[in-house]
Amino acid sequence: MRRATSGRRWIGVALLALLVTLLAVTTLLAGLVRYRYPGAGADVVATLSLGWLLGWIAGPLLTGDDAALRMDYFKLLPIPPGRLARAMLGAAFANVSLVFSLIAFAALIALGTRSGVAAALTGVAATALDLMLAVVASTVAIAAFGPTISSRRGRDFGTILLALTITLLSLASGLVPLVAKRLTDGHSPVLAAVVRILPSGWGAVAVDAAGRRDWGLAALALGGLVALIVVLVVAWPPLLARRLTMSAGGGRQRTHAARTGEPVLPSTPLGAVIGKELRLYSRSVLRSVMLMISFLVGVLVGVISALGGKTEGLPFAGLLFTVIAAACFTNFYGDDGTSLWLTLIVPGAERPDVRGRVWAWFLVVGPAGLLITAVFTVISGQTWSWPWVLAGEPALIIGSAGLLALIGVVSVNAPDADGGPSPARVLKTHLALIVIPVVTLFPAAVLLFAGAAGHSLWLRWLAVPVGLAWAAWLCRYSVLRAQRRLQTRGPEIFARLRTS
Amino acid sequence: MVTNGGSGPALEFAGLTKRFGDNVAVDHIDLVVPPGSFFGLVGPNGAGKTTSLSMAVGLLRPDGGTVRIFGRDVWADPVAAKALIGVLPDGLALPDRLSGREILLYLGLLRGMPREVVLERADELLRVLELDGAEGAPVVDYSTGMRKKITLATALLHSPRLLVLDEPFEAVDPVSAATIRTILQRFVAAGGSVVFSSHVMVIAKGKVLASGPLDEVRGGQALEDAFVHIVGARAGGTEGLSWLAS
Repeated sequence: MRRATSGRRWIGVALLALLVTLLAVTTLLAGLVRYRYPGAGADVVATLSLGWLLGWIAGPLLTGDDAALRMDYFKLLPIPPGRLARAMLGAAFANVSLVFSLIAFAALIALGTRSGVAAALTGVAATALDLMLAVVASTVAIAAFGPTISSRRGRDFGTILLALTITLLSLASGLVPLVAKRLTDGHSPVLAAVVRILPSGWGAVAVDAAGRRDWGLAALALGGLVALIVVLVVAWPPLLARRLTMSAGGGRQRTHAARTGEPVLPSTPLGAVIGKELRLYSRSVLRSVMLMISFLVGVLVGVISALGGKTEGLPFAGLLFTVIAAACFTNFYGDDGTSLWLTLIVPGAERPDVRGRVWAWFLVVGPAGLLITAVFTVISGQTWSWPWVLAGEPALIIGSAGLLALIGVVSVNAPDADGGPSPARVLKTHLALIVIPVVTLFPAAVLLFAGAAGHSLWLRWLAVPVGLAWAAWLCRYSVLRAQRRLQTRGPEIFARLRTS
Repeated sequence: MVTNGGSGPALEFAGLTKRFGDNVAVDHIDLVVPPGSFFGLVGPNGAGKTTSLSMAVGLLRPDGGTVRIFGRDVWADPVAAKALIGVLPDGLALPDRLSGREILLYLGLLRGMPREVVLERADELLRVLELDGAEGAPVVDYSTGMRKKITLATALLHSPRLLVLDEPFEAVDPVSAATIRTILQRFVAAGGSVVFSSHVMVIAKGKVLASGPLDEVRGGQALEDAFVHIVGARAGGTEGLSWLAS
């Protein structure tokens, strides 16, 4: 078992090393390529350098301060802060990641070789300075944010940041070619200016300027890098001292008092469940991450394609958001673990529990989905899409709300041993991405496609009331079935959570 | 106290049975807990205490036999039976991103209690259980003892007639244990009944399995000694909670 885990870890490390090597070589090649638009090479290298610098800063923050020399080891040692700071900064340079970064930042040298010896030598200096900046900025970032990250809320923050990064990376396949095209065509002076103004772009600016024999700008850019490194090195000892004297626990999160002001929700069993669920939507990391991913993917897929000039997809951003938000929440009871006992020991609590969860999801996702749909449809100018989105979005929200309750009691996936989603739960989410829209939108879709094929506008508009009626029936049926199942099979559902 | 509801023994097992595969966890247990008793199920880990109590409160369906709370069958008439009991399970989750007060408000309203009554009782329970200093913190930041105490508060909130407590003293510091014990004694003195399980009370001369009314199990001094050992220190829990009395 241990050997298997160790083996898997080595495979993971090897794959990661391969991926980073590929990224580094690609960055290097980007410096060698000849671009049609003058200055595009510097823009591309500046953009890629930004990515590498962000990786240096965000990497340790996301994965935790697990360097070989952890700062906490030195908390109790009688070492003067200044000497410790210098020693730890020196130790930070003993990092294998520097090899990959050296290959990547060498793109600056490659960029310079195309413009002569002076530019190439400027590239050498810029590469060295970028490497120093990466190491120093990374070390200072851990000291600045480290105490937060070692607390529970900090880990929550790290989890959200990791999910955000993965989501954005998954969308990068659409975004990167777009950015690259805009930069290499010289169509986006604003984007080019931004990546050059940021410190990560100063090396590329220096090389580009040296190539044009603009020695003043080249010296200014390199001098800026030196100054920034000096500032960070000077700021490092006090930050380290603060880091070492701070409690790892961080501040306790305070919740809002339960009795402030008049209650917005009715003081009934149903109101109690809705209130509890709404609080959990705003405080649970898992729920926040799922909502954030739904929003980002739903909105950015449409926006990215719109940036490329295709606005036909924009009106459907709200539907995509709603489908993902529904699929993510198909495990109402499984995700809450054994806290189901609270519902089972209260007489007659099953009915308000199911309804309260449905209402809470509806209140969180519904208005957001409708707003995204309305705003993006207006912005897109795709007036033909109104019957499609008005038939789709409300039906999707209402139908999904009920389906989630039913799926949540029929298929209960307890959290994994480490508290994360189990593989079965992930599979269920993926299946739900297909099943939920098919089931909720089937009648409306038939009318919409029939109307489109037959060029019948009234048939397309008929899809709106038909979609709503179907969704209302589906929601009611699913909620009643879910209630009945929780009432009759509650202990069995609980047993699956308890024995996992 | 809840005065409506059935009569008869506070808790009654008749031929209660539960199997998990080939393992018979609870084997035809018959047990009668009279009203007003402080009743202990004592035995080592794996003896079937949690399984029995889970079946008693409606969390685990028995394979055979019946469970009655004041004459109401837990599995045939769950709504009436569950209204009479307060439950403190061992090691189960709470909605831990809520504060202690928010959990009490949620449960009180879920039980159909008036909001003002819930808030008033929640205030008292948090104060008596010495959780009022952490009332704004989410339960995820609570220590094990604090979790035990907030779960006890959820069990007491609706003023039940019978408290079913699974390992109420496990992993609890002596001061918290003393507070819990004082509240339980007041609950029994006011006419309530308590059934609790414990494995920490089985000591040198104790049998592998011992269950029965406190006076019988006490026998020599073993159980009392264990209690003293567990609680030892200053006891809180003597203030407020007038609504626990009938």
